Amino acid sequence: MAEDTKVVSKDEGSEELGLRIYEVGYHVIPTVKEEDIESVVASIRTVIEKAGGSFIAEGAPALMKLSYAMTAREGDKNVDYDRGYFGWIKFESSVEASETLNETLKADRNILRHIIFRTVREETRARMKIPTLREVRRTDAIKPAPHHVEDTSIPVSEVDLDKAIETLTTD
Amino acid sequence: MANILTQNDIQHVDYKDVDLLKQFINPHGRMVSRKRGGLTAKQQRAVEAAVKRARFMGLLPYVQK
Repeated sequence: MAEDTKVVSKDEGSEELGLRIYEVGYHVIPTVKEEDIESVVASIRTVIEKAGGSFIAEGAPALMKLSYAMTAREGDKNVDYDRGYFGWIKFESSVEASETLNETLKADRNILRHIIFRTVREETRARMKIPTLREVRRTDAIKPAPHHVEDTSIPVSEVDLDKAIETLTTD
Repeated sequence: MANILTQNDIQHVDYKDVDLLKQFINPHGRMVSRKRGGLTAKQQRAVEAAVKRARFMGLLPYVQK
């Protein structure tokens, strides 16, 4: 019999150390200047790094329109935002580190909304092209087909017309 | 016919894949039933979780008028 060996994958090994794979998605408020966004992201990264986490993948923040307006508390009034800089980071860390990150993001005034959840190490994004109902190429201008109206009318005498009608009606 | 997830061998459904998730919501923004979407129970649960995350993050609407 073959020796009973236990194969421990890298993830299982990490799990034993108390490390888990997480992904954080966040919206930076749109009033933050484009050049200051990097510092906001850097602050998220330092929280993960300080807690002993390591990065797996990252998506840079990009301005996008939100599906609905989100309300954020600014000072003593509520402000609605209809867009935000959306970015994400996939990382490996302990449970405590993810909780710390959650608290930090909650307190951060520059973060409109965030989500942290457990995921897998592998790439989860679909590599396929999603079929869409209609695809309109903006570069191709749609030219209307030339509309030919040929004047083929020839003068018809009243007598010929009457004759033609008569033959039709008699049939 | 096999569903879009099986056809393309998609094991994990990501909440950021909005175009993929849109295949499983109706014009009002509600989830399509498993019978209509043709997903397996496991896939339906994965899509459901992804749609909920996408809604929370404003990538998909909760309701569309």
